[in-house]
Amino acid sequence: MNEPEKTEKKHLGGDLVIPVAALAFTLYYFSTIIDSPWTAQVSAVFIGSILIFLILIFIVKSVVSLRRGDADLGMDSLLNPRSFILKRLALLGLTLGYVFLVDYGGFTLTTFGFLTLAMLLLSGGRNKRFILILSGGLALGGYLLFILAFDTRFPDGPFEQLMERIL
Amino acid sequence: MEVQWSLFAEMFAHTFTLWWVIIPAIFLGLIVGAIPGFSAANTIIILLPMTLAMDPEVGLVFMVALYASSRMGAGIPAILVNIPGTAGAAATPLDGYPMTKAGRGQQALAISFVSSIAGGLLTTLLALLAMPWLSQVAYYLHSVEMIVVMLFGISLIATIAARDTLKGLIAGFFGLMIGSIGADMVYATPRGTFGFLELYDKVPLIPALVGLFAVSEAFAIIERQSILTERGRNLMKDSGWSETIEGVRIALSKWWHIIWTSILGLVIGVVPGAGASIASFVAYQQSKTFSKTPELYGTGHVEGLIAPESANNGVTSGTLIPLLVIGIPGGATAAIMLVVLQYHGVTMGPDLFMTDPNLAYGPFTAMAVTYALMIFTIMPLARYMPRITVVSTTYMAPLIISFTLVGAFVPREYMFDMSLALVFGVIGYIARKTGYHVAAILIGVILGPLLERYFLIAMQMSQGDIMVLFSSDLGNVLWAGLFFSIGLPYFMDYRRKRRKAAEE
Repeated sequence: MNEPEKTEKKHLGGDLVIPVAALAFTLYYFSTIIDSPWTAQVSAVFIGSILIFLILIFIVKSVVSLRRGDADLGMDSLLNPRSFILKRLALLGLTLGYVFLVDYGGFTLTTFGFLTLAMLLLSGGRNKRFILILSGGLALGGYLLFILAFDTRFPDGPFEQLMERIL
Repeated sequence: MEVQWSLFAEMFAHTFTLWWVIIPAIFLGLIVGAIPGFSAANTIIILLPMTLAMDPEVGLVFMVALYASSRMGAGIPAILVNIPGTAGAAATPLDGYPMTKAGRGQQALAISFVSSIAGGLLTTLLALLAMPWLSQVAYYLHSVEMIVVMLFGISLIATIAARDTLKGLIAGFFGLMIGSIGADMVYATPRGTFGFLELYDKVPLIPALVGLFAVSEAFAIIERQSILTERGRNLMKDSGWSETIEGVRIALSKWWHIIWTSILGLVIGVVPGAGASIASFVAYQQSKTFSKTPELYGTGHVEGLIAPESANNGVTSGTLIPLLVIGIPGGATAAIMLVVLQYHGVTMGPDLFMTDPNLAYGPFTAMAVTYALMIFTIMPLARYMPRITVVSTTYMAPLIISFTLVGAFVPREYMFDMSLALVFGVIGYIARKTGYHVAAILIGVILGPLLERYFLIAMQMSQGDIMVLFSSDLGNVLWAGLFFSIGLPYFMDYRRKRRKAAEE
């Protein structure tokens, strides 16, 4: 007789992040309209009630799976591959830094810094020279295309101001 | 009303003489369409000083050519790097990107271009001939009918995210809640804004688009050395012109699919506010529903790529119909065109067809000529653009993050919008990893404000009676269509299973 096939457990922890976030946001949203006129409430209450109903179905389904032993609350779907967690968090930190600093450093300089650091991070510190040249070329290319050619209002900084004076 | 053939012939001949405006607009449109955050609408705004200085006819031809080509350009990054250039191309990566990952990027681009151009050209000519009659559609759609059309869009979410309908619905309704953020329309009461003034005027679409698609994708691709699979990489290295020609051949062999999905786009485009994003999802869902192989959708299926690309180009001519006939723009770009034409003293409406037929029919002849000239861009673009996908993710991911985040800044020039795009990026990343469709969240964000507007109008008119939603004959027909559309995939699935069981 064949051995019964081992079925892999579903990891529901990660799957619950979006529903829980959606539920928390919907409850917060409701708290902001509690004293509002009905015109401000009607549509959101309609949509939010349906969303809460759907989330409850999902939670009930998850609880049933957990009780049956078909699933656990593992976060594998969200965290795998685990070897990339640190890299991903570091990239997120660099991106946060970019969003914060671009207001002061301007598009060209901050983009150059971000590209260099992010590429070095992802390449594990290899090809430093190539990355420096590439980052510089891309940041400068972005400046020429968007700011000079299209006259797009990108965040302004020392480089853009200097170039404006020169040109 | 009758068709004025001699007038049309004269107008086409005249429009071809404006090639010197159309060709630069095509290239500009392809570039701005391909860059997330740089829609045709933004570009026309940036170039407003130029278009205002032009003769009204030349300005209109320029804007129309830019508009049409940007629609095709938006499909390029959607297919190659899973980042739609505009919200209208949000359904394109569903099957376009898996084709690229499998090393069929050239084919996918060729199919997308042929579908875009053929669909756009066909619907433009149809719109030109049928404009007097098509314009009547807009008169019959009031708030109740619009609500059903919106719900139609939402119902698609569940069927698009077919692997788990419940997750699809949660994602879609979560998007709708996010789309409800902002001050209410009557008393300007702030709702769900977390105290940010920048959110009083609703959630801006570009940061949502950039975050959900671009930033989240960039964080996801760093787990691989390249966007392409190993097999795809080898295929890409070995492919030549034959891949492009094969793509063109495949697209032409699906001519019927191009025709009906582009006409669907045209009809949806006539509805003010519905736009390319809804049209592309409706076309995708309908294509899947009537397909003999619906299980292949989402895996790099040709028909799943043709449907949204034909439909969103069909919308382009559709949005101009209410603009020209009743002065109501069908979308953001059409609204900007209206502003430019009003600046020149042109009054839109039925009278325009009598007083200045050249200007009234001009946008359609310009669009048709634009699509005709775009035929020459298919082969070189499809052949060489996919090279971008062999670039290592080490370089690609940071580039995507920085340039698209700054793109989120452009429309409103708020630093806040870059942070917002990053927040959407995190939501999108979690959604991607855990099986919630980011496109479902996005379409919810797009539809949220529209649904609220029409819902509120209907409620005010009926003094709060919810049964108003079933008070119109056309609305009831649409309701029936909606339930049919939701039920049909289950029925088809049931039939397929029964047939399979019978065969075994």
